[in-house]
Amino acid sequence: MTPLIDVCLVLVVILMVATPMAFQSSINVQKAAAAGKSADMMAKTERVEITILSADSVTVNQAPVRRERMELLVRPLLELSATKTVVVRCADQVPNGAFVNVLDEAKRCGAARIAVVGG
Amino acid sequence: MRLSGERHGMISKVNVVPLIDVCLVLVIILLVTAPMMVQSDLPVDLPEARTREAEDEVNVSITLSSNGDLAVDDLRVSRETLGATLQSRLAQKGNNSVLVVVRADSNAPYVAVRELLDQARAAGAERVAIATRQKTGVEQ
Repeated sequence: MTPLIDVCLVLVVILMVATPMAFQSSINVQKAAAAGKSADMMAKTERVEITILSADSVTVNQAPVRRERMELLVRPLLELSATKTVVVRCADQVPNGAFVNVLDEAKRCGAARIAVVGG
Repeated sequence: MRLSGERHGMISKVNVVPLIDVCLVLVIILLVTAPMMVQSDLPVDLPEARTREAEDEVNVSITLSSNGDLAVDDLRVSRETLGATLQSRLAQKGNNSVLVVVRADSNAPYVAVRELLDQARAAGAERVAIATRQKTGVEQ
């Protein structure tokens, strides 16, 4: 009986320790200056520019759209893009949560590279 | 001479298997907790995200807590000393192309996050990532 309890306790400890790690992730962002320069060199059709105006509203290639409907514009644009690069600009007072939400949405729409400009 | 235990099939040797078991468990726990030890314990509510990108096991983290406190890995720093601390971390052996992870609270304004990204870049970070909390549950 004791080895069984031992193994069970070990499993509990491992799960307790590993749970917070399993839930942390990250989104890679390109260096703003370098990405900005290379993005400028790209043809307009090859990049998608997202500007976050507030927690709720963004513009996608200058077209204003609500954040939750952003996917409808971004996904077809990324399908046409060869480089699948998204250039993100963000207003200063936008919460980090909203900013990350847009990066996450862009990734889910198929963005391969995300460049953050405005630094 | 025969031992009485031997006749009844009793094991007279010390059983080291449980000891090895416990030692292996300790090794596993140390292996798992080692990367966590270098993260600050400042209170941070990371923003949720569904995408998950490969994160290096060895990285340098910059933590921005909900009350504006800063830390590089497990070391608390001020805004003035952040740059120097980052530079010294990145100058350490084997850290020349290490991933720098910005762990900012979800309510922190973007301007503060941008400042940290700038500082990381200025300190020589080649690869930068923004930390998120893995969103679980049913896809909407």
